[in-house]
Amino acid sequence: MTLVRSELLKIRTTSTWWIFGLISLPLWALALGFNWLQTDALASGNVGDVPADQADQIQAVSSADSIAANLYTNGQFFGLLIVMLLGIVVVTSEFFHQTVTTTFLTAPHRTAVMLAKLVAAGVLALLFWIVTTVLNLVFAPLILNATDVGTQLDSGAVWRAVALNGLAYLLWSVLGVGLGVLIRSQIGATVTGILLYLGGTIGAAIAIGLLAQRFGDWINELQLLVPSLASTLMVSGTEIPGNPPRWAGAAVLIGYAVVTGVIGVLTIRRRDIS
Amino acid sequence: MSDGQSRPNAATGQIIVSGLTKQYKNVRAVDNLSFTVEPGRVTGFLGPNGAGKTTTLRMLLNLVTPTAGTATIGGHRYADLADPLRTVGAVLEASSAHKGRTGINHLRVICAAAGLPKERADEALALVGLSPAAKRKFKGYSLGMKQRLGIAAAMLGNPQVLILDEPANGLDPEGIRWMRGFLKGLAAEGRTVLVSSHLLSEMQLLADDVVIIAAGKLVRQGPVEQVMGSMTHGARVRVRTPQADELAAALREQSATVDADPHGALLVSGVDAPAVGRVALAAKVELHELTTERPDLEGVFLELTAGKAEIR
Repeated sequence: MTLVRSELLKIRTTSTWWIFGLISLPLWALALGFNWLQTDALASGNVGDVPADQADQIQAVSSADSIAANLYTNGQFFGLLIVMLLGIVVVTSEFFHQTVTTTFLTAPHRTAVMLAKLVAAGVLALLFWIVTTVLNLVFAPLILNATDVGTQLDSGAVWRAVALNGLAYLLWSVLGVGLGVLIRSQIGATVTGILLYLGGTIGAAIAIGLLAQRFGDWINELQLLVPSLASTLMVSGTEIPGNPPRWAGAAVLIGYAVVTGVIGVLTIRRRDIS
Repeated sequence: MSDGQSRPNAATGQIIVSGLTKQYKNVRAVDNLSFTVEPGRVTGFLGPNGAGKTTTLRMLLNLVTPTAGTATIGGHRYADLADPLRTVGAVLEASSAHKGRTGINHLRVICAAAGLPKERADEALALVGLSPAAKRKFKGYSLGMKQRLGIAAAMLGNPQVLILDEPANGLDPEGIRWMRGFLKGLAAEGRTVLVSSHLLSEMQLLADDVVIIAAGKLVRQGPVEQVMGSMTHGARVRVRTPQADELAAALREQSATVDADPHGALLVSGVDAPAVGRVALAAKVELHELTTERPDLEGVFLELTAGKAEIR
């Protein structure tokens, strides 16, 4: 517990957290604008000509639950990226500023230190989630009412999506900490993290789409294995036909978080600090 | 120490390094090294660059895993200390704080992790004379201030044992003098002080004992006077005279050893300066200089580590 307090104090006494917070705000606003347009299109049924085989999917995402869930988890795409980067910084800044020596002198039990870091990064991630969720609860009803969908605040599916969104924030911060241990260089870990997240999302989506056309729809199930797609799947408000179930997305993401977390802890236990 | 009774073993503060070895891929950085460091004394840990000083200290502090051997503080490995910061304070790199964090916050973070009250941070800053810069960010600190902050961090737990790696690096003469007084004061209180350095003249003023290593191996260990006394030449007398040959002959009759130095003076060993003066007076030789030269640590060090300091 003292170690967690120390880790939180480390975060609080440097400027990283509020700089990342400031970066998050415009990204959140951008996402809100985009989702507004999307909501508008879906709610009015004005999505253009749709091939027959995708009609089911459009139907699913056009449901009130899905539209509302999408808005109440607004900002997730960049929010997850930000908390992952924060997780990376929690570890790599210790190597960058050589404070890791002092940290391990103060607490020679490195496993405990790493667990404290995981908890601290998780707490910070949940704070980011709380702030974005509060903002979403203020702005999403405005959009939903304007598009005649209704606030949907009495829908269990919406609150489930909000909760799963919190889980996603938590898991991505854990992924970040694990990545930070594996790649000690601050720049190296940050670049790798961003590439994995953005490249992983966009690249994998394109690749899987192409492969699915060539080899059949079962390939679509593979998007589960891409962490960022798994988390998108996890927070989608409703089951979408042709996509794997949401719990599978959650399972995969938890799997990744546990694996990187464990590898991170085991690695740092054995490493020479010089 | 206020709570010394609760940890009787650690309170003795003796450091024992035994058969310590670190093998990196191609280099044996530390090679079967054994020595002891006693409480109540300042021990200088000396060696040429790359001799393995820092690796040894880091193995002692559980930061680097030894290939073989053990290192204990008060009978315990560092990793097994119940309360490491209240037992051992260490200063390893001057620059080991987050650039954007203030000095006081740097110490508070450590206090939080060690379960120390945060008032200790203020007290430790005052102890090293850094209170006026408490709220300044670390990146604005001079090298000397960084060293002082490092020492403040080491003193947070009021430890029995102090371990410092090159603490005089980057200090100005005033800072070095302050450090010398500070460390001597800690040793006088009965604490164990282990200081690595390559500044030999400083060590001669500071250390009671020395441990000299080269190429990862122990070269010599003991009290400073004893290590210096063990050298091939002890004190010598330098004497300058226009009648060098006459004086040299007269001195050799007294079974002294006389050598000429390149600048025309005589270097006499085996007799002391008053004896040389008496011989000169008896031989009616005119003297222009009569000086006793004691060997310094630097000379001793260079002689002991000669040929062992090459790049490995």
